Amino acid sequence: MSSLGFGLITAAVLAIATVGFTMQFAVTNVLNLAYGSIMINSAFVSYYLNIHGLNAWVSLVGGVGTGAVASWALNRFIFTPFQRRNLAPITLVIVALGVDLCGTFGLQAIVGGGYVSFHQSQGQEYHFLGMFLSGLQLVIIGICAVILGLVHWMLKFTRLGKAMRATSANASLARNSGVKTRWVISATWLISGALCGLAGTVFAMNTGVFEATSAQLYIVLLLAAMFLGGPGEPYGAMLGALTIGVATEVSAAYLSPQYKEVVAFLVLLGMLTFRPYGIFGSEKTI
Amino acid sequence: MSVELSQAGQVLRATGLSAGYDGRPFVHEIDVEATPGKVVSIVGPNGSGKSTLLKALVGVVPVLAGHVTVGEDEITNLAPERVARLGVGYVPQIDDVFPPLTVKENLEIGGYLLARHEVSPRIEAVLEYFPRLKGMMTRKAGKLSGGERKMLAMGRVLMLSPSVLVLDEPTANLAPLVATQLLEEYIRGFADHGSTVLLVEQRARAALRISDWTCVLGGGRVVLAGLPQDLEQDPIFVESFLGGATHH
Amino acid sequence: MSAYAFYLATIIVYGAVDAMACMALNVEFGFAGISNFGFIIFQSVGAYTAAVLSMPPAATSNGGFQRYVLGWNLPWPLPWIGAALAGGLIALPFVFLVGKRLRGDFAAVGLLVSAVLLNLLVKNYVPFLNGDAGISIVPAPFQSLWNPQALAYQFAYGAVAVVLTILVYFLLRRITESPYGRSLRAMRDNDIVADSLGKDLRQQRATTLVLGGMVAALSGAILVGFISLWAPGAWGYAETIVLFAAIIVGGAGNHKGAVLGAILVPLGFEEITRFLPPVGNPTLVPALEWVAIGLLIIVFLWFRPLGILPERRRILSGQPRVKSRAPAEAPEDGGATIRLGNLDELDMRELLRIGEQPGDDHVVLSVEGLTKSFNGVEVVSDVSFEVRHGRVTGLIGPNGAGKSTVLAMLAGTLSSTSGRIIYEGRDITKMPSHRRAQAGLVRTFQLASEFKKLTVLENLVSAIPRQSGDSFWGSVRGRRHWGVEDRANIARASELLEGFGLSQYADAYAGGLSGGQRRLVEIMRALLAEPKVLLLDEPMAGIHPNLAHRIGDQLTRMAHAGVTIVMVEHELAMMDAYCDPVIVLAEGRVLAEGTMAELRAKSEVVEAYLVG
Repeated sequence: MSSLGFGLITAAVLAIATVGFTMQFAVTNVLNLAYGSIMINSAFVSYYLNIHGLNAWVSLVGGVGTGAVASWALNRFIFTPFQRRNLAPITLVIVALGVDLCGTFGLQAIVGGGYVSFHQSQGQEYHFLGMFLSGLQLVIIGICAVILGLVHWMLKFTRLGKAMRATSANASLARNSGVKTRWVISATWLISGALCGLAGTVFAMNTGVFEATSAQLYIVLLLAAMFLGGPGEPYGAMLGALTIGVATEVSAAYLSPQYKEVVAFLVLLGMLTFRPYGIFGSEKTI
Repeated sequence: MSVELSQAGQVLRATGLSAGYDGRPFVHEIDVEATPGKVVSIVGPNGSGKSTLLKALVGVVPVLAGHVTVGEDEITNLAPERVARLGVGYVPQIDDVFPPLTVKENLEIGGYLLARHEVSPRIEAVLEYFPRLKGMMTRKAGKLSGGERKMLAMGRVLMLSPSVLVLDEPTANLAPLVATQLLEEYIRGFADHGSTVLLVEQRARAALRISDWTCVLGGGRVVLAGLPQDLEQDPIFVESFLGGATHH
Repeated sequence: MSAYAFYLATIIVYGAVDAMACMALNVEFGFAGISNFGFIIFQSVGAYTAAVLSMPPAATSNGGFQRYVLGWNLPWPLPWIGAALAGGLIALPFVFLVGKRLRGDFAAVGLLVSAVLLNLLVKNYVPFLNGDAGISIVPAPFQSLWNPQALAYQFAYGAVAVVLTILVYFLLRRITESPYGRSLRAMRDNDIVADSLGKDLRQQRATTLVLGGMVAALSGAILVGFISLWAPGAWGYAETIVLFAAIIVGGAGNHKGAVLGAILVPLGFEEITRFLPPVGNPTLVPALEWVAIGLLIIVFLWFRPLGILPERRRILSGQPRVKSRAPAEAPEDGGATIRLGNLDELDMRELLRIGEQPGDDHVVLSVEGLTKSFNGVEVVSDVSFEVRHGRVTGLIGPNGAGKSTVLAMLAGTLSSTSGRIIYEGRDITKMPSHRRAQAGLVRTFQLASEFKKLTVLENLVSAIPRQSGDSFWGSVRGRRHWGVEDRANIARASELLEGFGLSQYADAYAGGLSGGQRRLVEIMRALLAEPKVLLLDEPMAGIHPNLAHRIGDQLTRMAHAGVTIVMVEHELAMMDAYCDPVIVLAEGRVLAEGTMAELRAKSEVVEAYLVG
């Protein structure tokens, strides 16, 4: 039962990360494998603000900003120019891997290989329903839930959110309706980048001690959650993240904890082999 | 119509238009003009460039030579979203709705350029025009039948109160009765209310019936143009559909 | 002096291993179009297998401080042979991921994730391969007879490695520069079309992965025999990225490019960093190495995506080099200016190997109750009709009537939701598309479907069925085995090409031709596939009527010679001139059937669709 608690915190962070990731895929049709490197860079920016005196939650904003700007720049200066050249999708994935290497190891070159952690208190331990969660974790879950709610509100009720969904569904028709798709795509990368930065920072906070390569394998959880819910589907991403987050932690309780990511791997491979359009999708959506 | 769904039309004119992807023209030296209150139709066999021509007019296909104007404004190679801002509404042949969005949301995107308070009344007006959509506001566009989808596609473009309507094979996929109604009631109706209508149609006869002027395309060029009643008598017209004689 | 000598020996071994691995990955990625992001798995499988085969049983050796499986103490070369076999075997499960029609980037990500997963499992499950510590004290071949630390031994080892690499080079080149290699490249360029011409994609991908796996595994075995140790840290998924960088830099689709890339990237980089002074903290230099790899990838893909040694054009025509430069581009006019050659003089029956007897009008293809639904919407409903031998049957209808969908179901490109398709008396409803093509049911496509990075002649010859060089073993047996037949095929294709007036484009890349020319190439290619039933999807779309009529005349000749043709078209003029009967579809259903004259007399047809 305590694993359910761990599952919740994992799922909360994963949900934020996956929603951002899937939005980028929806609007640009690229698997941004550099996402993890932006996450960890955002975490480090936040960390440096923190150790220079800012409260951890305030420095969180720095992380969010870093994620937003870095992601926007990635699309503006790398993905968009490459896409104009009409290359195979696989080429963009390789480019993304190249960026991921630069981002992660560039960071490591600057900050070194040592582990660091935020100056923040874990807070009290809370017990309820058999779950053990620290105050810090409860705050993280709270932030994530609120942000997810905001994302939902934005997508469903704001002009920008509808424009984003329209652009993902049919960019050409959106343009014919007067939507400035270039701006919408930029805005999407800014917002999803902010989610990326947020996810990276709270991921680091929750992990406790982290270093430059800590998020390198996070991409697997992200992909598992995204493909489970269906690529490009924000609501699917939330559901997928919840499932993967809880499943990995619960399985850790029954199997050896070193293997808990195995569940995510197997889900991902299974989805790619049998249903790459997600549980709710259908062949036409790919 | 309770609320004016279309503005007074503007003149849409193409002169010497050549257009195509990758620097290779698919349509050559096209001259065509659509004026307010009139329906101009473009017919011709598949592959003759009809769709490409429309796409070039609204900025989806690059224009390689020639000019396109709407009223006083030059729109040659203008970005599609800016062409829309000038009051040109375009309905493509396929991919004409946003499938994962609801009917209501499709219409809302159609009204993207409107001020916030104008959207609801406009949706009301469009629904008056297409009452069948009223009961489907929360249904996803991808789940609509062919006829319903086309109505939604039309409704989306009407949200803009376009002064020029550019329609690519609006009756494709539709049952004959529905197609006839769409052409004779709605599309002819737009023109009768003052809009400029330019449409591409495969059902050449049906198009002739509602048109004020018709152009026949073949091999990317205009091979014939004139009043529908004249064209129908013209043996070249008949032959260009039945005898393949689009020589020039 | 001797320190440099030892270093040189090490370089030789590493260079050979890297070159071998890069060549294997290049065959998968550069030739067959499989983005194997999990490639490092195969090299590791080889290394581990060679290790556990050559080491003594775990419990008894060295005080039992390592735990691993097997431990059979086999003498060289058995561990290396076992390694290669293991590399081939482990490729098989991955065929599921790449064999189906999964998007290239999705499949690649699946392979990447598999590499990470396997690394995780090996790292954590210690009894298998000694977990994170890895396996060490791996015996070198013949170490009881010859001291592996001796300089001479190391040079000998290097020599063996180089010899094996050279053998691999010739073997791989033999495979890729054969009709089979052509089929692999066709699959790379456009897999749906390759499938429609009878290529078995799943088998080709499986073979490529197994072959690449075996070579990769061998390279791992060679390496582990030299460095005596292999641990999970050495084979993270990032190692695959280094090899991809090598191929991108060196040149995908070119064996020499792979070798060059191997020397520049995995070898060059590693060795350069060895000579840098230790500066900053210990993680700085390795981290900068990774940054450099990432930059290398981005920079090369931007400025020189084909690599330093790009894929070479294969000149099949035997025309002198000078003439085979691509001639000036033809205008985009739907082929109005194309001058056909001596088409009418060609013996089509001979050229296209038409074995059928001229039409006796029996039913060769029939469709019963064919239905297709997408998402609950029926786009084709209960369609039934018969196609008779030696006739040109037209399939018409307004846009969205379901014509192309029906054609796709006939060819097997799309599966049907219900209904039956009977071909030559057999129910082929469940038969996959490539087997239908092999049985003589060949289709063309509406949109551009040429193999862009194959020359025009290669496009044509690739379609010819039953080539003895168009199989893995056929290609391994070499040019002596398939050379004569291939030259005859090339001659046939050249004759057809000349008939259509396009000889001067024989050695031009098909992707560079104008629309009309590409359409002709497609038709020629479909004809060379020796169809019994030819399914044409809007062959005249965008084609100038003059050319369309010439093509139509040839189709009629073909039909009289015994080829059955089904043609989806919009051009009603074509229907009039060439098709009998004509089937009208509307809204997914058969509306009417008959000659154009008969159809025009039917008011419902005229109402629904016809112009005149």
